[in-house]
Amino acid sequence: MQPKLKKSLIYWAMLSPLVVVILFPFAVMFVTAVRPRDELFVYPPRWGFSEFRWGNFAEMWVKTNFGEALFNSLYVSVLSTALALVLSIPAAYALSRYRFPGKGAYRTFLLMTQMMSPIVLVLGLFRLMVALGMVNNLNSLVLTYAAFNMAFTIWMLQSYFSTIPRDLEEAAWIDGASHFTSLVRIFLPLAVPAMAVTAIFSFINGWNEFVLALTMIRSSDDFTLPVQIYSQVAGRYQVEWHHVMAGTVLATVPVAIVFSWLQKYLIRGMALGAVK
Amino acid sequence: MASVKIRNVEKSFGALKVIHGVNIDVEDHEFVVLVGPSGCGKSTLLRMIAGLETISGGEIVIGDKVVNNVPPRDRDIAMVFQNYALYPHMSIFDNMGFSLKLRKRPKPEIEAKVMEAADILNLQPYLDRSPAQLSGGQRQRVAMGRALVRDAQVFLFDEPLSNLDAKLRVVMRTEIKALHQRLKTTSVYVTHDQIEAMTMADRIVVMNAGRVEQIGAPLELYDSPANLFVAGFLGSPSMNFIKGRFRREGDQAHLLCDDGTALPVPAASTAWNDKTVVLGVRPEHLNLAADGQGIAATVDVVEPTGANIEVFVELAGERVCAVFSERHPFRPGEKIALGWDIDKVHLFDAATGRRI
Repeated sequence: MQPKLKKSLIYWAMLSPLVVVILFPFAVMFVTAVRPRDELFVYPPRWGFSEFRWGNFAEMWVKTNFGEALFNSLYVSVLSTALALVLSIPAAYALSRYRFPGKGAYRTFLLMTQMMSPIVLVLGLFRLMVALGMVNNLNSLVLTYAAFNMAFTIWMLQSYFSTIPRDLEEAAWIDGASHFTSLVRIFLPLAVPAMAVTAIFSFINGWNEFVLALTMIRSSDDFTLPVQIYSQVAGRYQVEWHHVMAGTVLATVPVAIVFSWLQKYLIRGMALGAVK
Repeated sequence: MASVKIRNVEKSFGALKVIHGVNIDVEDHEFVVLVGPSGCGKSTLLRMIAGLETISGGEIVIGDKVVNNVPPRDRDIAMVFQNYALYPHMSIFDNMGFSLKLRKRPKPEIEAKVMEAADILNLQPYLDRSPAQLSGGQRQRVAMGRALVRDAQVFLFDEPLSNLDAKLRVVMRTEIKALHQRLKTTSVYVTHDQIEAMTMADRIVVMNAGRVEQIGAPLELYDSPANLFVAGFLGSPSMNFIKGRFRREGDQAHLLCDDGTALPVPAASTAWNDKTVVLGVRPEHLNLAADGQGIAATVDVVEPTGANIEVFVELAGERVCAVFSERHPFRPGEKIALGWDIDKVHLFDAATGRRI
């Protein structure tokens, strides 16, 4: 055997336990989702089944009101991500470019907010939303998700912004650009990779969030996907496991799409050649 | 084009003062080089002219306008940065045309100007490429081109050649000088390389620790440096310094070194008698004395550079460098005798460093 092949086989063998742990839930999810209903609880459990029931997905879509929950999740994740980015970019820019009193304290504060679990804050947030009259309103989730994500997005953007040479903006000012023009025409295009990564994280956080969505949203019309799928399991006499699993399989699809669409921006090649 | 006047300019970062009341007048069409060791404040001064640093005291005048509070974009200057600062997401054409685009000039005009600059700098084949696809020298040229299209009043250069390899640096040096001779744009050029300063400047400003040490034409500074710092900074290999006590008797003057050697020096005033002074002699002004004359020296190291040989010798207890264009076959340890033309050596006050 060639040494190179041998080496990669050994590496894969070492990696395989991790791969199994990660892929196992997906495998269970998938084989349950496409199984006929009466083969769900065979004993002893087995991977195989008699036929592919793609129809489970269509049935699930209608029965669980999946479309509406999908839309709600998209609404909340996209808007909260956009809001977090719009507010974080100026904050991160100021942190990376300007000196101002309290900068260190502000940074520590950002980090500290990350140490608190959302569950600790749920009650307070709920009361806040009651006071604002926003309970049972998807926008309450948009606000809270954006707020929770911002500490991370500011931190992340700031560290990338600091790697963009200041000279580029200075060159633009000398070329006749205002601060705003240099920001829009020179700085932000170079910050796209950072914004993409941050957006992915923020989107996934919003997409997967459960506790706040369960607390703030009361009517099933406004459920986001995690809550909707949960409602198919919790407090029921009969759980349609093949529908639950079909729902979870579908729920992972948008994240995969967002990730593969934005991952090309992850390549940091953009800033090469700017300065020596 | 315009002149630049720097009057009593100061700069402090908090309590730390980095520029102490600098005065420089750059005439219209002149090429002035600010030179000095790292941290002497030359780049800070340039950035203050550009408007990228605030001015803590004094004033800067471009043309006849005080620009202390004018933002960079309204100063009508062009600047070439040390690391080029090309916009990586734009083509070379867009990089060069960016300033004109911001000024909302018509497209044909932008095209004509960029083409003209590209023509001067031999950049036409690269206009569609991105900066990442160019070599260091080409990027440097694009940075120059970006400045050229502007017809700015003043060109500022912040160590533009320091990222290039030695050979390319010499080529670009000549190119920049030729360009200036052709366009006659008022230019302020910052470098720490004294050869760049000597070869390119109409006038050199030597800076040290936030102060101007001397201003003058390159050869003027080289031939009569105002103080020890300027004398030691300009010239490579640098000037030799030998400390000793001054003694004048009649028309003859000597420097008495610690080891008892008496060196011939120019006859300064008798007021300097018995005071400690520093003799400065450039390596190329040392010559091989005839047998039985001159000052005894022992060869230490011989470094042939091709055009010359640089010989380091032990002379009057100091290590001294001599440059010869003849190929003397010296060996380490060899005893030789050196002399100098008394008109070509310099005397400095050891206490203040000033020229006597």
